[in-house]
Amino acid sequence: MTDSFILGLSSGSACLATCGMVLFPYLMAGSAGVKKIVIDLSLFMFTRFLIYFVMATFAWYFGQALFSNAVVRNIVPGILYIVFAILLVWYSIDKNREKDCPVKIVKTVNNQRLVPILLGIVNSFGFCPALFIILTKSATQGTLLQSYLAFLAFFIGSSLWFLPLPLAGKMKKKEVLQNIGILATGLAGIIFMIKGITNLIGGIING
Amino acid sequence: MDNVLEKTGMKKSFGKSLLYTLPMFLITFMFMTGGKPNFSDPASALAVLTVFLLVNVLYFFMHYTGKTDRYRAVLFIIFALSLSYTLIHNMLEVRKSMSFSQADILECKIPFCHLVIPMMILPAVFTKSIIFPGSIIGGFANISSMVVLWLIATIVLGRGFCSWGCFYGGWDDGFSRIRKKPVIKKISELWRWMPFAVLIMVALTSALALMPTYCSWICPFKAVTEFEQVTSVESATKAGIFLSLFGGLVIALPVMTRKRTQCSFLCPMGAVNTLANKITPFTVKIDKNSCNECFKCVEVCPLYALTPADIKAGKVSLFCSKCGKCVDACPKKAINYGIRGIPAGTMKNFSRNLFLFVSFLFMAIFSAGSIISTFHGLLKLIF
Repeated sequence: MTDSFILGLSSGSACLATCGMVLFPYLMAGSAGVKKIVIDLSLFMFTRFLIYFVMATFAWYFGQALFSNAVVRNIVPGILYIVFAILLVWYSIDKNREKDCPVKIVKTVNNQRLVPILLGIVNSFGFCPALFIILTKSATQGTLLQSYLAFLAFFIGSSLWFLPLPLAGKMKKKEVLQNIGILATGLAGIIFMIKGITNLIGGIING
Repeated sequence: MDNVLEKTGMKKSFGKSLLYTLPMFLITFMFMTGGKPNFSDPASALAVLTVFLLVNVLYFFMHYTGKTDRYRAVLFIIFALSLSYTLIHNMLEVRKSMSFSQADILECKIPFCHLVIPMMILPAVFTKSIIFPGSIIGGFANISSMVVLWLIATIVLGRGFCSWGCFYGGWDDGFSRIRKKPVIKKISELWRWMPFAVLIMVALTSALALMPTYCSWICPFKAVTEFEQVTSVESATKAGIFLSLFGGLVIALPVMTRKRTQCSFLCPMGAVNTLANKITPFTVKIDKNSCNECFKCVEVCPLYALTPADIKAGKVSLFCSKCGKCVDACPKKAINYGIRGIPAGTMKNFSRNLFLFVSFLFMAIFSAGSIISTFHGLLKLIF
């Protein structure tokens, strides 16, 4: 669970770096009161939680069907980890990442009540490398419960970044925190790259 | 340059320099000999005498020439090399190997270093246990003495610890001095924040896994101290990481950039010490009235602590390790050691003398044991 939490925590910051400019105006809602912000944020989080729950279920059943052989179970995820980890590192150093934010679709929606839910849906399905990594991990877990726990840790890690959103506008060192978060995402990518390489070598040796 | 130094009072006369060296001379004498020099073992006596003279000659020259960095670096680099020698020598004597086994971990026989401190805090708070398999009191490199030493040094020196107290910093400091001109000149300022990202990652992973993840997976200095026995794919991967990081961040990049890249871009302790710079009484100040914005200081700063924007704003960033390189390089003597609360450009001499005394004394006392032990070992090898 540790690596899933760390992945969530680090990619959550990159997610904010990517989508912060779109998410902030909706969830912080400058003129809105704290109560409205808390309700919107809770709806946003709950939607993400539900979608992750569904994803964990699908990923695990998909993994069971696909990775039945013990060697394949090491080698294929090993390769996937390496590929997605490279993408995650690239994602963290890519200067144009703000252009890729999928959440900006929500800008076109007029119904303000639906916005937090739609943001949660688009944010969860915004397939970033970190999500691919956690899907790979979830697919290779021994039991469905472990798959849920991996997603739960990822959810908690990534959600921590959204909790201080109502205060984000007042933060002086926002840019510094964003920089540290982006670099942490790159580090998480490296951690999973190493995990992938270790899996792959282990799989080859055992095979 | 000499005229400038004389005019600003940084360079002192021979007699005055001797006078300034006298307190250092007495304290280091007491510390190294306990007040009673022991001549029963000639090799040991010669080692103590050599180190004693080395330390005091370097300190004397700091006052006599008005230059700081080159003399600091000599002791700093010798400290790093000697500590690795002492550690390796000690391990080879005790374990007959540089690698440690699972039994050594279970028996808490792993030497402690300050880099573990940021990883210990969260687990210590939440589980009331120390996650490092070392000795708490007594034995070689025990936890309590290292924590106390680091705490005192960090409160007094802030990130100055990285240039005056860290027994690893001398490695990349040394390699950064090999080439006269850098091959790689431009590195994004964003990377200065990397140690903070590493700090967050290792603090959290250590708290969650209840093990010092930096030591287990990242620390480049494992290559020159001790490491886990290679018995599996995982331990082989770890050894690969240690060696690659040492080769890349401690040797190759410092040579190519003339900067201390491991300290600038990886060390989580550097991040903690950077934050400590907010409370330390000593600082480096820019006198805006004297500065002609030539940016020579930006060019020479080994830790990317100075940017043209910092100079224009007349402020040295929190990343400064007070090594003195910018102070030595400034043609206008616009950068000086300072004391918090005292305006830039005033009491320059007093501030420098006080800072040098405190920081050099700390380095001299902290490093003396391992340098003496190394000299002693080398003398025994030769004769």
